[in-house]
Amino acid sequence: MAFAEAGLERPGFFARFAQEHLRVFFFSLGKLRQTPVAAALTALVIGIALALPAALYVLTRNVETVGYSWRESLQISLFLKDSVSAERGAALAHEIGARQDVAKTQYISRDQSLTDFKAQSGFGDALGILDENPLPAVIAVTPARSVGKAGVQELDAELGRLPEVDIAKLDQKWLERLYALLDIARRAVGMIAVLLGLAVMVVIGNTVRLDIEARRDEIEVMKLIGAPDSFIRRPFLYAGFWHGLFGGILAWLLVTIGVHALSGPAATLAASYGSDFRLSGLPAADGFSLIAAGIVLGWAAAYVTVGRRLALIEPR
Amino acid sequence: MTELIRFDQVSYRYPGGQDVLGDVSFSIAQGEMVYVTGPSGAGKSTLLRLIAALCRAQRGQIVVMGQNLSVLKPRRVPAFRQHIGLVFQNFNLLADRTVFDNVALPLVVRGYAYADIARRTRAALDALGLLRYEKSLPLTLSGGEQQRVGIARAIVTKPALILADEPTGNLDPKMAMDVMRGFARFNEAGVTVMIATHAIDLIEAVPKRIIHLERGHISDRLPTAASRLGETHGVR
Ligand SMILES: Nc1ncnc2c1ncn2[C@@H]1O[C@H](COP(=O)(O)OP(=O)(O)O)[C@@H](O)[C@H]1O
Ligand SMILES: [Mg+2]
Repeated sequence: MAFAEAGLERPGFFARFAQEHLRVFFFSLGKLRQTPVAAALTALVIGIALALPAALYVLTRNVETVGYSWRESLQISLFLKDSVSAERGAALAHEIGARQDVAKTQYISRDQSLTDFKAQSGFGDALGILDENPLPAVIAVTPARSVGKAGVQELDAELGRLPEVDIAKLDQKWLERLYALLDIARRAVGMIAVLLGLAVMVVIGNTVRLDIEARRDEIEVMKLIGAPDSFIRRPFLYAGFWHGLFGGILAWLLVTIGVHALSGPAATLAASYGSDFRLSGLPAADGFSLIAAGIVLGWAAAYVTVGRRLALIEPR
Repeated sequence: MTELIRFDQVSYRYPGGQDVLGDVSFSIAQGEMVYVTGPSGAGKSTLLRLIAALCRAQRGQIVVMGQNLSVLKPRRVPAFRQHIGLVFQNFNLLADRTVFDNVALPLVVRGYAYADIARRTRAALDALGLLRYEKSLPLTLSGGEQQRVGIARAIVTKPALILADEPTGNLDPKMAMDVMRGFARFNEAGVTVMIATHAIDLIEAVPKRIIHLERGHISDRLPTAASRLGETHGVR
């Protein structure tokens, strides 16, 4: 085959790759600029769809933070047997306090318990009619911060087996409930993210499909002059990329604005509980992940759509 | 002489239809210029589409530029088509791109360097007297100029073969004559040219070999005033 190609140099693979992709990169951006309203609406829909799971994610993270800060007030109360002397009780508190997994202990003698109770309950006189002090001595144990949920339960069980201890009482039912709720919330966020991710793909896929229909003639001409499918597909893939990018950026923006709007009231609420808790927004790494997710979804949606549609368009 | 196109007992039918071409055999040498004539519906367009691998014959064998089209993988079709310049009655230009961009497109598809693309595109535009329109949009040009843009796009890659389907169908007689002479010039430069047409007066003005089709078969009867009459009924 003698093809007259004299005087034409095909650049090397990488130069060609760069030239082609840069060209289409800006070409597809230019195409979006020709229909700014439609592009903005698409970005808004994608942005909202991505912002929803991201906002829920931010919410669970904040609740988690609150939960952790509350854990500091978590205590194991060891009710000592009556046979244990005050000296032994104080020594035991000291021993337990030396453990790795314990932050601090406080020994409350029977007398102290009674005094506290009288002062706090207002039943002082009623207790006075009893011959004996009915209250046990107590060691209040605060687990170390580093100890997880399971570790605290283990500690509770272990201390409960000590010969001096009558009952070990760990009041963390509410904390367990909080963790269980958080777990459910996290899974829900995951599911919502998957569903809305699919919705994003449908939106972008449909946008790309309309774009393909609108440029049907152009695609036919491309096929007539021998453009390979990869060449014809490229601008649509980049369109998906741009939609996903803009949607992702918008989602980040929406979440940040939302956190900003809520941070004042949240701080006020926290202050009323004596906490210096601050609502935290989406960390930069997660924000970039959000944008990356938008881009991947956009590209994938465009790829699937264009692959199916292109085969249906044959030059007449 | 090198054979560029060979048809061996080729039959073709559109899905669900009857044979549009039946037992068509012919051979075209490199450097030839050939008219494909025949009344409307005779199968001229279909013949050219088969050569460009736009459709695939059900029976018989087609070899184009050494490539047996019945074994051409769909994946390889674009690369094959890059060696053919196609010209159409309705020009098939992209309305939202400039004349320059339209003509440059086949070179862009092939991934040449920008400087080369610009140089080659300008040369093609110049050859067809279109340089001053390079920044215009196609729809601002006359029919004859638009068809010249279409031809410039077909020749910009210096293809070995040009296939033109009724290229003068939408042009007035003077422009049609210009276009035909243009094809003849390319042919003199060594390009093989096949033109489907039923414009007898143009064929008579630029006489070349004729493949005449009647209802999907090659006919020895050459187009005459009689078929010209039939064709005017068919077209207008
Ligand atoms: N896409 C198609 N589907 C079905 N039949 C077609 C199609 N295109 C053309 N035909 C039929 O094939 C025959 C030949 O058509 P064509 O090759 O266009 O003839 P010509 O170009 O000589 O006018 C005609 O009878 C036409 O009706
Ligand atoms: Mg025709």
